[in-house]
Amino acid sequence: MVAGTLIGFAQAARYAARPGQIRELIHALKRLETEISYGQTPLPEALARVGGVLAEPLRRIFLQAAARLKERRETTAEACWTEAVETVWPDTAMRAGEKEALLRLGASLGLSDRADQLKHVRLAMVHLEAEETAAREEQRKYEKMCRSLGVLGAALVVILMV
Amino acid sequence: MRLAQLYEWLPDALCGVLDRLPGPVREQMEEIRVRQDRPLEVVYGSESSFVTPEGAVTDDPSAAWRPDRGLCRSLLERITRHSLYAVEEELRSGFITVSGGHRIGLAGRAVLENGSVRRLRDIAGFNVRIARERIGCSAPVMPAIVDPSARTIRHTLIVSPPQQGKTTLLRDVARAVSAGDWRHPAARGWRGRKVGVVDERSEIAACENGVPTFDLGPRCDVLDACPKAEGLMMLIRSMSPEVIAVDEIGRPEDAAALREALHAGVRVVATAHASGIEDLLSRPVLRELVAEGLFRVCVFLSRTGGRVTHRIVTAEEVLCGRPGRQAVRSGAAPRDAPLVPAARPAAGAGARVPRAETDAARQIPARGGNHG
Repeated sequence: MVAGTLIGFAQAARYAARPGQIRELIHALKRLETEISYGQTPLPEALARVGGVLAEPLRRIFLQAAARLKERRETTAEACWTEAVETVWPDTAMRAGEKEALLRLGASLGLSDRADQLKHVRLAMVHLEAEETAAREEQRKYEKMCRSLGVLGAALVVILMV
Repeated sequence: MRLAQLYEWLPDALCGVLDRLPGPVREQMEEIRVRQDRPLEVVYGSESSFVTPEGAVTDDPSAAWRPDRGLCRSLLERITRHSLYAVEEELRSGFITVSGGHRIGLAGRAVLENGSVRRLRDIAGFNVRIARERIGCSAPVMPAIVDPSARTIRHTLIVSPPQQGKTTLLRDVARAVSAGDWRHPAARGWRGRKVGVVDERSEIAACENGVPTFDLGPRCDVLDACPKAEGLMMLIRSMSPEVIAVDEIGRPEDAAALREALHAGVRVVATAHASGIEDLLSRPVLRELVAEGLFRVCVFLSRTGGRVTHRIVTAEEVLCGRPGRQAVRSGAAPRDAPLVPAARPAAGAGARVPRAETDAARQIPARGGNHG
């Protein structure tokens, strides 16, 4: 009974966390945009600065990408970014749509002039905003249902066993 | 040391090949030319060769190692620190200077905006120019440019085609003036002078976080990565320099700023690209500056077989079209050979271009030099 309830609550928490994380990611990209356009900060430092003020687990994506960029010799920015996203992704509540937006952004990070970089960052932000709206909708629909389903499912199992 | 610093900017595969080069080639290396899908070339001691994957030098392009697209992209990402957007200005001028003062020239496809170059894209050609420090290479020149009556140096223009060691000489003149290393009999007991350096390309001082990594003596202030014309005025206003050193002048705004410097009582040492007097006079801005008498002395550098010849010509002689009254030939190439301890000018007789040779002219040794 307890286990079933917990599973239900955990699932509900994922629904609740997703829009929040997407929002945070959008804020992070806004900060990255500022670093690129006004600060002209090199990418490793820009990512480290943006990551420094984020909460876990998003913080780790940016900090890991920054660390990989500073250490590795052969790889490109795209490879470092992709590796960091792939490593940290299972710990986030986000889905494939957001991941795709981030990976697509990674493919162009640092490879063009300022105006072009800003376009790419903004495109990723628009993409994430759409995902955020969908995520809130899902949260509204399914968060309570998951909790109830967890409790009820557990109750059903108990009844069947008795 | 400086070479090790450079290696941090290069991809491992390229470093591996360069590491296997024979010692003398590695030590005299001046340029590394990386061209996508074409043979890797190194320039050392006035020679150039292709490099095989095993690190041997060869004249046969088909045996040479060819950097691929991945390596070029990795190299570009490394030298721009994965941030093309942060080096837009540099891309517009076609080169990036990395720590250690090494300059990496770029070739690719130009992107235009309103008819002028906005940036480069599809970059597939790199010319890594290795910066060398030659402390003392100004010794043969200093006696000729010292102005004993004013206890400083004359306005001097160092002229040569690319790759002859202009910047290396300018750097050492700045060091000598700031350290009081005058090398002139009348200058015994003089102190050094305050030197201001406008280092538009970060090549003269190779500043890191504002601090020069080349030895520029104790009385030197550097405006790093600053446009020349603006930097000259800033220095004069703020740092009260007595001598200003500036690299590669030639634009009209440079001339205007140099005139200001002259009227502010500051001595100027500058460099310019030209292969000889005729070339110099065919460049309108330089011609004007020499004609106005701003530069009192011109030093022409030319390099043959690892030797640098300094030909010192006064402004009047340049304008009269006479190639020179006094010439000093030094056996040392600023870039890749040890310095000659002292110039001992001896009168050349009879020739239209009398020339004095230092008795210490030497060939480049296989090893040695004071670069790291």
